[in-house]
Amino acid sequence: MEHATSLGDKPPKILIITTIASSYTGANTVGQARAQYAPNTYILRVPDPVMFPEDFYLRCFDKGFAGIIIMSSGSDCPYEGAYGRLSARVGRTYLKMKEKGIPTTRLKLTTVCTVCKHAFLKEIDDMQNHLKEKAA
Amino acid sequence: MSGAMDEAKVGVYVCHCGGNISDVVDVKAVAAELGKHPQVAISKEFAFMCSDAGQKLVIEDIKSGKINRVVVAACSPALHELTFRKALQRADLNPYLYEHVNIREQVSWVHKGDHDAATRKATSLTRAGVEKILRQDRLESIHVGAAKRVLIVGGGPAGLKAALDSAARGLKVTLVEKSGRLGGHLHEFDTVYPGGQSASELLGKLLSAVSANPAITVVLGAEVKTWDGFVGNFKAVLSTGDAVNAGAVIMATGYRHTAPSAGEYRFGKDDRVITLPALIEQMKAAPRGPLTRGGRAVRSVAFIHCVGSRQIEGVHAPQEDGKVNDYCSRVCCTAALHTINALKERQSDLAIYDLYRDIRTYGRGHEAIYEQASKNGVLFFRFTEEAQPEIRESSVVVKDVLTWNQEVELPADLVVLVTGVKPGEVAELTAMMKLPTGSDRFLQEAHPKLRPVEVANNGFFLAGACQAPMDLVESAAAAGAAASKVAAVLSKDFITLDPYVARVDAEKCTGCEACLPECAYTGALFMNGSKKAEVNAALCKGCGACVAVCEPRALDLAGWSLDQMEAMVDAMASEVAP
Repeated sequence: MEHATSLGDKPPKILIITTIASSYTGANTVGQARAQYAPNTYILRVPDPVMFPEDFYLRCFDKGFAGIIIMSSGSDCPYEGAYGRLSARVGRTYLKMKEKGIPTTRLKLTTVCTVCKHAFLKEIDDMQNHLKEKAA
Repeated sequence: MSGAMDEAKVGVYVCHCGGNISDVVDVKAVAAELGKHPQVAISKEFAFMCSDAGQKLVIEDIKSGKINRVVVAACSPALHELTFRKALQRADLNPYLYEHVNIREQVSWVHKGDHDAATRKATSLTRAGVEKILRQDRLESIHVGAAKRVLIVGGGPAGLKAALDSAARGLKVTLVEKSGRLGGHLHEFDTVYPGGQSASELLGKLLSAVSANPAITVVLGAEVKTWDGFVGNFKAVLSTGDAVNAGAVIMATGYRHTAPSAGEYRFGKDDRVITLPALIEQMKAAPRGPLTRGGRAVRSVAFIHCVGSRQIEGVHAPQEDGKVNDYCSRVCCTAALHTINALKERQSDLAIYDLYRDIRTYGRGHEAIYEQASKNGVLFFRFTEEAQPEIRESSVVVKDVLTWNQEVELPADLVVLVTGVKPGEVAELTAMMKLPTGSDRFLQEAHPKLRPVEVANNGFFLAGACQAPMDLVESAAAAGAAASKVAAVLSKDFITLDPYVARVDAEKCTGCEACLPECAYTGALFMNGSKKAEVNAALCKGCGACVAVCEPRALDLAGWSLDQMEAMVDAMASEVAP
């Protein structure tokens, strides 16, 4: 299975997993501000990314996503203990990525709130730049 | 779960949103591309899907039997997801067979410069919506019984107002107050702005109304000691031993005054330096005649704003939890100016200097208070956070931004620090009730605009300054809104909840119990007599933590199943060129 970030002529797609309580609204706030970012970004809305098993992320890479940013609610998470569980899950995903030879930098766990415009844009920029460097 | 896929006929509707979407996204191309999907029976674009005409389009297509699932690609679901769910209901279709795709805030508004890419992305996202709804069950709302009693925590003005409004709507109320008396901070004031009413008269009216209302039970000197249950059926035991069974909770735990840190503006070292609440208390105790300090008449007073608010890390001493109060307390500017005007009324020759970083007199009628202070001869000086006023032996020195940083020395027999507010001491209570707080430590609403007095936790509502700095008018409004929301929730004998909770496919469950330690909510997930996992839908919060560890996929989150998420990812990953 190929896990390179270069996907031929296709743009390196980035999956952004957002939470209903925080980062999905944060993404809307970015839109309301008419801030611009690259269109190779795909936002998935979920109650909380803690629902995803480790293999979900590996599957996303297999399907062609070059990078995944998990924008959690962090300390604003309305679900008790969910952030700690998510962090542990992402930690275990990193181990599986290493086993498969996938750079762990292609998966980023971060926190974005309902009004975190700059953080939202910065995380995308960072991942874009990282993927460009890897592809170069 | 996807057994109905074969008979699924999806209607796709792509909204122009005037030109908000269609100026960037080629909506005709998106609709045409989605029309090629084998299970999309109808694919249309329309100028304003949220309009009556747009909704009618959907309803007619459903009623004609052409479609039985709906995807609308438009604005954020926060705005119109409910609108369309209701439209489906009006067409006698299960309202959860609906998916709302956001191609405005997350496509057209953020990709203005690349119309082709925006169109491709809108197509992929809409296709993902179709794949999700194809795997959606006919979910049913959850109904739980409701106790027609509201527990109100905090007996300040917001708690009193919420109690009266709740009782007026036919609910029983238990009002729990930690201290030995009702009224909270209203006891501190002589008069209240903007109207200048007597605080004691206002409080007297509230207390009389509460004590005369048989639906309201007041428990003084009590705290919530144990907590259990869920919306419709919360169970609290108070420190007095009283047990309360309530359908909903209004938090009205109020605020505390911030105290200047040791030595800040020589507070605690120089007895000329006092806080605004201390001055108000002194004025209330001696309501007439000139202000005195240490037996001598006060001839000049300097007020210094933003003490304990808008603090900057590294500049100001942190609060007890190690964090600075970086927020604006909002209410202190008007409170200071209201007090200044009261001082001027009783002592017109008193020299008053108002030293501020910014003046925020934001409420209705507040600007008039500011203007009145100006007319009363108060002199205003503006300083920056880098150059704070210096307290000297009998004066205050300020670098005045308004006169190009000229250093001005002002006589001051009295220095009043306009202190801010911070939330009440409720950390233990909020931990027990599992309520979210913001980075400012105030209780956090579910959404500042769309659900301003609701907490994300079902059945909890916010009244007054437990949520953010608020004045009396705002607190009363929030309390009224919270009471109204509670009445809506408890108006029926049962409560309707969204069905987005974990569910178990008993045939797939191996009884491995791996899910149990993942669940943070007591009683929400358990093993039943058949050694299968079982979910109490009323207690489950729908986080999905249990789903991730269920290898046979017996557990899933209704409406957000892993199958649905994977199908969405596949659709997003596939290239679809319109």
